[in-house]
Amino acid sequence: MKGTFLWRNRVLLTASALLIISLHLLGIETKSGSYAALPALALMEVMRPVQAASARLGEGASGIVHNYFDLVGAREENAKLRAEIAQLNGERAKIAELEVENNHLSGLLELKYALGTDAVAANVIGSDATGMSHTLILGQGTASGLKPGMAVLADEGVVGRIIDASEHASRVLLIDDHNSAVDGVDQRSRARGIIAGVVDEGVIMKYVDRSEDIRKGDQIVTSGLDGIYPRGLLLGSVASVRREGPGLFLDVRVQSAVDFRSLEQVLVVTEQAPPPPPDKRG
Amino acid sequence: MLILFAIFCYLALAIETAVPYFLHLRFLIPNLVVILAVDLGLRHRGAAPAVLAFAMGYAVDAFSGSALGVNAFLMTAIYLGTYEISSRLLVTNAMVGATFVFLGTIVAALGDLGLSAGAAGVQAWSAMLPTIVAQAAITALVAPIVFSILSSAKRTVGLPVAAARE
Repeated sequence: MKGTFLWRNRVLLTASALLIISLHLLGIETKSGSYAALPALALMEVMRPVQAASARLGEGASGIVHNYFDLVGAREENAKLRAEIAQLNGERAKIAELEVENNHLSGLLELKYALGTDAVAANVIGSDATGMSHTLILGQGTASGLKPGMAVLADEGVVGRIIDASEHASRVLLIDDHNSAVDGVDQRSRARGIIAGVVDEGVIMKYVDRSEDIRKGDQIVTSGLDGIYPRGLLLGSVASVRREGPGLFLDVRVQSAVDFRSLEQVLVVTEQAPPPPPDKRG
Repeated sequence: MLILFAIFCYLALAIETAVPYFLHLRFLIPNLVVILAVDLGLRHRGAAPAVLAFAMGYAVDAFSGSALGVNAFLMTAIYLGTYEISSRLLVTNAMVGATFVFLGTIVAALGDLGLSAGAAGVQAWSAMLPTIVAQAAITALVAPIVFSILSSAKRTVGLPVAAARE
């Protein structure tokens, strides 16, 4: 075997075969449900405990940092008072953290009632591994009723949609990712367009006709026509509109309603909203 | 070797997915999986390391982007590139390794954009390059430390630390 062509070039041949397999995986859009995606779902399941633990650890670490700053002014006090202050500060940080969490959950609960559909609250436990795409990892999966394609919301507005779900974890494609597209409508002018992420430029509204009266500050909401997001949810507001330049469509930049970096809890719509009535403007 | 790299890849992914949750400057977080792929290319010969690089890329795909295969392709390509070039070099020390890691991180980021976002991703290359180069530099700085930890772990389990030349 040694000395043969195959043996001498085994690395090159193996790597070439693997490169072809990778391109095949890319070409067949394997993300959800297919056999090729199963190992990825298993990996999400294996990684979930570490991510959930680190998310909790991070919350604890931020509490420690707050406690440290609170204690700087108490250097002159005796050890007993310091211990008491530390303890009180620790409790206060915990209460503050609980209050923040309570506010988040209250907001989500209000949103859930406002939606009138079934929804599940989920914790954010991680983010995209490379940072080149915009995804989040949630600590809930199919065991909680989550499935690929479901809409993910925060109390401020739309977050994204689930693209992968293992038993106890799932991944969300954020609306500012370059592979995301949401059917949106300007709440004031009723101009329709596609809200999409741009690689390094945030979010834009595509395919808005030049004749549309769309203005800076207008709120953009979901149209409900994409069959994923319920109608009327806030996507963001128009940051700028450029009418100059060539092309059939307006250049509309959108400021997303949600600060994706500070998300801790989200709401996943587990029941598909009924299709909206036809828009008067078609 | 498989178990060792599986553990390191697991830890790398745990760091890469958990840390950005607290540290919002994403480019400060090194691409640790690239370091592992480069180590495979520099110090391991045969078909198994190529499969390992592919598997590590696939694992990254499970936690990044919306398409499977992007990082599997890139990690295999980085492994193959490192293997082919390093087999023609006289020395493959930590400095050489760090250089491979620097270039590999840039290739991984630009390749990720190009493969997942197509023409729009390629158009964004120039705008993204400063951030990518900064991340590559940080990854290259961290690389010797990771190589050293990997070498210690390999010694512990009785794996060869340096590759035998073919």
